Amino acid sequence: MINADGQLYTIEGFAAALIMIMTAYLVVNATSVYTAGDTHINDMQLEALGSDALRMMGTPVNTSMNSVDTSPLRTIIEDGDSDTFKTMFLNLTNNRTGLPQNYIERTGSSMDFIQFNASYTCRNKTNNNITETIPFSYSRNMTGGEHTVRATKWVIVKKNICGTTNVDRAVLVEVLLWRD
Amino acid sequence: MARLNDDAQWIILMGFLVSFSFFFLALVINQSTVVGQTTAESVIEFPKNDIRDVRDVIVRNTTVSNSTEINSDITVISLSRKNAVVYYGWSDGLIIHYNNGVTVFNENWTNI
Repeated sequence: MINADGQLYTIEGFAAALIMIMTAYLVVNATSVYTAGDTHINDMQLEALGSDALRMMGTPVNTSMNSVDTSPLRTIIEDGDSDTFKTMFLNLTNNRTGLPQNYIERTGSSMDFIQFNASYTCRNKTNNNITETIPFSYSRNMTGGEHTVRATKWVIVKKNICGTTNVDRAVLVEVLLWRD
Repeated sequence: MARLNDDAQWIILMGFLVSFSFFFLALVINQSTVVGQTTAESVIEFPKNDIRDVRDVIVRNTTVSNSTEINSDITVISLSRKNAVVYYGWSDGLIIHYNNGVTVFNENWTNI
């Protein structure tokens, strides 16, 4: 004769298993919605990348601590050479490995998708010491909808800017970066 | 009167145990995302690059001829573009002050 006493426990076991699976599903689902791209981890990494690139460009090629600063960034600003800035900055930030070969063949470059808009700020001596921001290089026009981060770098330049001629001045280079 | 049957109490207890452990697991998973976000926000908020940069430009250019103009440049532009009060000058070594309202940095730098 078949003994059916344990069937109630079996059904209860099934019910418990279903409850656990439902709970696990709810937990996983809820957290995956919560994490969706709203953290600032990407911003942090992009800002670190931009700061590092500017720091490299602001480092003199061959110098000791106390010699005259002739970094690429200084030369670029003194000459107003926006093309060199664009080439150098995109090289430093956008090169990456692992792009598919057909992408490189199609676009002719191994670039990532980071865009920038650069300007520098100086203190205007003739205009009551108000700062003046001069845009000088960009990789793409800004539409206003970009989610940008800012990286900055101090540079000493000798240039006719902001009310002085041919004396050393400190300017702040500001670069807005974003991903397309 | 039938006697009270308490055979199933273990099952109920185990059910409580399992549900509590799931609750704590959910709490841990929930907190882990917050940890990632707050860490990134702290890194962004802390002006590591600003301090390094302003200190680098000050130390590197104390010997140039036009240091009064550069001093004013750094003070004024820091305030307007970086929301930071920066002051530096010579007084028994190079004194550097940086304050952006959240982080304060003071240094007495000597070239020895």
